[in-house]
Amino acid sequence: MSFLEVNKMTKFFGGLAAVLEFDMHVGQGQIFGLIGPNGAGKSTVLNTIDGTIQPSQGEIIFAGAEITKLPPHRRSQRGIARVFQENLFFGSFTVLDNVRVGYHLQSKIGFSSIFLNTSSNRETEKALKQKALDVLQFVGLAENASDTAVTLPHGRQRLLCLAIALATGPQLLLLDEPITGMNAEEVETMLGIIRDVREKKGITCIIIEHNLKAVMGLCDRIAVLNFGLKIADGTPKEIAENPAVIEAYLGTEEDAA
Amino acid sequence: MQNSLSLMKGFGWIILAAASIAAPPLLANIYWTSVMNMIVINSLMAASLRTIFLIGEFSLGHVGFMCIGAYSSALLTMKAGLPFGITLPAAGLMAGLTAILIGYPFMRVKGIYFVILTVVTSESFRLLAYNWRSLTGGTDGLIGFPGAGSLSIPGFAQIDFTGFTEYYYLTLTVVSSSLFILYRLEKSNLGFTWITIREADKMASAVGINVLKYKVINFSIACFFAGVGGALLAHSEQTLSPQASSVFGVMTTIYFLVYMVVGGKSSFIGPIVGAIVLSFIMEFTRPMQEYQPMIIGAIAIAVVMLLPEGLASIPAKIDKWRAKSLNPLT
Repeated sequence: MSFLEVNKMTKFFGGLAAVLEFDMHVGQGQIFGLIGPNGAGKSTVLNTIDGTIQPSQGEIIFAGAEITKLPPHRRSQRGIARVFQENLFFGSFTVLDNVRVGYHLQSKIGFSSIFLNTSSNRETEKALKQKALDVLQFVGLAENASDTAVTLPHGRQRLLCLAIALATGPQLLLLDEPITGMNAEEVETMLGIIRDVREKKGITCIIIEHNLKAVMGLCDRIAVLNFGLKIADGTPKEIAENPAVIEAYLGTEEDAA
Repeated sequence: MQNSLSLMKGFGWIILAAASIAAPPLLANIYWTSVMNMIVINSLMAASLRTIFLIGEFSLGHVGFMCIGAYSSALLTMKAGLPFGITLPAAGLMAGLTAILIGYPFMRVKGIYFVILTVVTSESFRLLAYNWRSLTGGTDGLIGFPGAGSLSIPGFAQIDFTGFTEYYYLTLTVVSSSLFILYRLEKSNLGFTWITIREADKMASAVGINVLKYKVINFSIACFFAGVGGALLAHSEQTLSPQASSVFGVMTTIYFLVYMVVGGKSSFIGPIVGAIVLSFIMEFTRPMQEYQPMIIGAIAIAVVMLLPEGLASIPAKIDKWRAKSLNPLT
């Protein structure tokens, strides 16, 4: 059985079907690519998986349980993390504090943590701080730990978004255009980290990206969306040779004429 | 540099504490003692209003919860004959529970929509007191309910709070412990979660924070202390009026907001400083009552333009200026 299943999922915005009867099966440990032209409905699919929006029809099954109606924070607690398309983080916090937010679920909020500075509380906080530093080390942001998040350059902000997502301890990571706007060197770093996320942490990834070269080299399977419909699904090689995909990206010869 | 700033902060707290403790016997004046009492209550109101700002929302309904607290405490002493030691926390709980009930629907909207909901709700609490004749005495208000009375600590002592000075010290104790609780909350993981929501609520929910729940917790805690402030007010005046011109009118809630902004909403001490300074200014300008809103408004505009971080940022400004004059190259 698949780790994540999206069955006959449809999302209407007004009368417009952003995504129509979309099916997706992602196996555990896969890196799954989601590609398609602008406005094809890729982000809508991710939004329904992480709970930012509710699908109009269909169901989403994660690790054997239906999560279609759960709010975002409940899905995060079950192990779905998201890197948004925009650089969304806590701007005025330090880089380290940003990652500490990711450990929210593991930190205690209770009477003793508020009014008594007990040694067990201090231990917990210290351990969480160390974990946060480890995550920063993993994405290569350790030297920026005490910087204010907004002052980072774009490429590092993307890495920070990834670090926050990793701090929640996910089993499934949703990446919305993780390498957009990066220079070649930063792209290589990011792709290397995404591979590490799968190899070393065993996290399943679903990735939306317009950079086809990167997607083809990174993903195990790819689904192609066009105008809300899935037009192809397969290994990178199958996708590259699929006439429907070529048509969606390049147009047909009649169009050119 | 950092040291001299924290030293200045420490001195500030000590002076504040010393002044508030020593004032009544030094002044030896019932009028000024009752003014001080009001100022201490205003500090709690402004500080708890700032707690709501931690989640990035402004409430213009704080006085409504003060009203709930005041009427709850007054009615519980009048009709049920309960002592002040019980009605005071009960008033807070009443306001806090109301905040939970309306918090769930209200906290689904943000910004100006939330502000509108709070101001309308606050007015409707006052109008409830205005129209519910059988319970609240309607337009006549409540008159002559008991004051704080005496509090007996079994096996220790019996303290009488009937006098103005004694009641002032009771208010001071309750408010300082409330402020301590609010301060600890802000510095804890709970406060951290609130600020997280203010910074990016979408991201907060993506990392597993139940945004709505923590917003409602925040709102109800802030309103709990507004209720406590209301009870303290009720038993010092021993009369309550639901008129629009009374303390429960919309004007008061706007003043709370101005205290917070003028004092500085980015630091904990800010709203307290704002409440103290502006309350004194209002007291001294009482002979020109009709111009009061104008005077306060002018001060608010001047502070916002010259000191955007509020009065509480003055020590940091002085520190910076001093550092510059000592070491002109940096």
